[in-house]
Amino acid sequence: MPLIKRWIEVFPVTDFISIGMLLSVVAVVSIKRMEGCLRAYVINSWLLAGLMAAFAVWLSIPHLYIAAFFTIAGKCVLIPFFLRRIMRNLKIEPGAQSSYLNTPASLIISFALVVLVYSFISAGVFVAGAARNVLKISVSIILISLFMMITRKKAVSQVMGLLFMENGLFLAGFSLTYGMPTIIELGVLFDMLMGVMILGLFLTQIKKSFVSVDLDRLTSLKG
Amino acid sequence: MFSAGLVMLAAGMLSFAAAPRKSLNYLYLLYAAAAAAAAFYAARALYTGAPAGAFSLVISPVLTMGFRGGPLQMFFLFALSVLSAFVSLYSVAYMRGSQTPRAHGVLYGLFIASMGAVFLSSDALSFLVSWEAMSLVSYFLVVSETESPGARKAGLTYATMTHVGTAFIIAAFMLAFSATGTLDFSGMAAGLAGKSVALKSAIFVLAFIGFGTKAGVVPLHIWLPRAHPAAPSNVSALMSGVMIKAGIYGIVLVCLGILGGNVAWWGVAVLVAGGLSSVLGVLYALMEHDLKRLLAYHSVENIGIILMGIGAAILFYSFGQTAFAGLALAAALYHTLNHAIFKSLLFLGAGSVANGAHTKNMEEMGGLMKRMPATGLFFLAGSVAICALPPFNGFVSEWLTFQALLLGSTMPLAYSKIIPLMGAAALALTGALAAACFVKAVGVSFLGLPRSRQAGAAKEAALPMTAAMGALAALCLLLGIAPGIVLALIKGIPFAGLSQMGIGNTGPVSIAGIVRGAALPFPIAGGFSSFWPAGIFMVLLAGSALMLVLTGAGGRKTCGPAWDCGIRELTPRMQYTATAFTKPLRIIFKTVYMPRKELRMSYRLKPFFVRGLAYHSDITPFFEKYIYEPFISLVGKAAMRTRNLQSGSLNLYLGYIMLTLIALLLIWA
Repeated sequence: MPLIKRWIEVFPVTDFISIGMLLSVVAVVSIKRMEGCLRAYVINSWLLAGLMAAFAVWLSIPHLYIAAFFTIAGKCVLIPFFLRRIMRNLKIEPGAQSSYLNTPASLIISFALVVLVYSFISAGVFVAGAARNVLKISVSIILISLFMMITRKKAVSQVMGLLFMENGLFLAGFSLTYGMPTIIELGVLFDMLMGVMILGLFLTQIKKSFVSVDLDRLTSLKG
Repeated sequence: MFSAGLVMLAAGMLSFAAAPRKSLNYLYLLYAAAAAAAAFYAARALYTGAPAGAFSLVISPVLTMGFRGGPLQMFFLFALSVLSAFVSLYSVAYMRGSQTPRAHGVLYGLFIASMGAVFLSSDALSFLVSWEAMSLVSYFLVVSETESPGARKAGLTYATMTHVGTAFIIAAFMLAFSATGTLDFSGMAAGLAGKSVALKSAIFVLAFIGFGTKAGVVPLHIWLPRAHPAAPSNVSALMSGVMIKAGIYGIVLVCLGILGGNVAWWGVAVLVAGGLSSVLGVLYALMEHDLKRLLAYHSVENIGIILMGIGAAILFYSFGQTAFAGLALAAALYHTLNHAIFKSLLFLGAGSVANGAHTKNMEEMGGLMKRMPATGLFFLAGSVAICALPPFNGFVSEWLTFQALLLGSTMPLAYSKIIPLMGAAALALTGALAAACFVKAVGVSFLGLPRSRQAGAAKEAALPMTAAMGALAALCLLLGIAPGIVLALIKGIPFAGLSQMGIGNTGPVSIAGIVRGAALPFPIAGGFSSFWPAGIFMVLLAGSALMLVLTGAGGRKTCGPAWDCGIRELTPRMQYTATAFTKPLRIIFKTVYMPRKELRMSYRLKPFFVRGLAYHSDITPFFEKYIYEPFISLVGKAAMRTRNLQSGSLNLYLGYIMLTLIALLLIWA
């Protein structure tokens, strides 16, 4: 164990893992296929769980193991399962998704967002130690996934964006607090699970009422 | 005694929710008993000067709601509970025809409880919570009994105005909180003592606007003539009698209690607002032919009279004339209690008339004095009181206000001399116009021949209603001939000058007696005036007796037909109408009223054969037309413009969130 702790410090494992998370989000911006987005999300969640485990080893916080386990169970297994089932049931074609912006422009804007976050969240204002870079990365993830939600037209990709954003928030949360109480972490996970189910219901309803899951049809609801 | 009252009040509310429908009305007696207990408790605390009881409600370790009964609080609690006792008695019979007796009963109890909580709150939190409760419950009471769209609209106007007012009050308290770091009123007073006048003036302005909205100060009065007629009469009696006095209480509490009340321009502002309210209130009242709207405008007028007293008190106090300030405040508080009593009496009377004659329009009444003798008599007593005629109570307090305003001539600076004297002139004008208005109200509604079939078939009100009105009328007379009772109640309120009032219960009231003991820096020419209300009453009694003796009691009475100008018979249509009666005033004050006339002719064959004529005349509602309507249309336009933000696109909404986030990031960095 002490050896692993040394390794985590010598090779900035935490930074590597969180950068990996950031890259997986940036990848999603350029991926148009729904199946690819879902895989990226699974990778992202695995990385999040790995980061938790690394923190658990490094700082000897046992309850983070539990959180990591539930992250894997919820985000790498259950949520993808539900999403796949929803897409199958609704017969959403897994192919290309329409977006308001083309891929290069989206990538440039995500890049600009990362630069913005890095230049404006000055290190050490109130975050020190391991979480210094993690906070910037997590804010970047949140903004990029929000950006994805803005540009994509299909409701399913809004759900994806929300899931990525939640990963970013989770990252920010536990990098600042070194693990919230387990009950809160479990609660958040459960929340997400419920969220995905409810969104599934909503999507079904949208599909029923508008024949499509394109969000621009929703403007006709305006009074 | 107080807790007994509380228990009875709570029991009343609970049993309204649970009791069988038939016996619901008698539960108002429980409220009446509760109010009587509270009135007794408050009066005893005021007379004996018992130390203020206090308790706090702990909500969380950092948040408590404090309640404390100081003398000022007890005085207002006394006014509330005396009125509630009689109004509850009235409600026993009045609410018999109610559509929603259960809800009304519970809300009515909550209304009384929330007003009591407002008066007893000792910190800003409990005050605001009680204040909001009072506003919301009264809103529901206004709209609960009727399903007419007009009442709904009136309720909306009321809710809007009261929430705007509350926003100002919250702002005032927040400002005081940020300057002192405490929500407790006494802590605020101590903390603000050394602060700058600019800060205190800002708090004063916010609080005056906020409380002025509730009190009905011109131009914030527009909800009164709408909400009062829409509400059931027992509720309007409480609203006009007590709830708008919560605004007065707030002004006294904040301006004199928390802020210290020693800045001259505050006094000038309050005095001017009071003068305007009193004159404009009575002028608009004159033009109203709906009995309850007329009374609502008279509330505006009387609030103005009370505010003139408070304004004079602040003005005198800022010049160090504590004894004069005490007199002015005593006059204001006295008038507060008086107005509570006679205005609720009048509203109850209007309710009886509306129940008996099934109309609120004076032009459809007439001849009610014969058909509803008790109601008519008590309404007349209330009218005499509100016109400030001896020997009723309105006279004493208005006379004191007069004296206080005239004392302004002893002030050092020109403006501090002139403004109180102008206030006195406004008060004189108000009194005369009020008398004209009630000659109209009583004359047109109660005298003459019935102007409509339902007025002719009017029935006298039930016993609990007449008993309640009779008790209030007796109270008007009692407080008119024994002002010492009230002055002794006021004496204990901790304000410089008030404690120096040494007067017997029925002895002469003299200004010298009231301000005795204070060194007067300025010699007062002509000395002080004084009068003896009980003496006036005795003279009046003796005079009446003498008249009876001289004319021969029950002696020569000749009955014959009235002169009918040679026309066969007199019909109700020949009577002087309310509109006709006020026509001269409409001409004199046409710059204020801006009367509008319209003659519509319909023809059978134009232009020779006229089928019908329709004549329509009304006055321009100045404040609605030139202040509120432009403002409302401005808000509407701004709302239409911001509507463009609402595209209905989810992506755009998400974009707004993102822009906000990035902007926050930039600001925060």
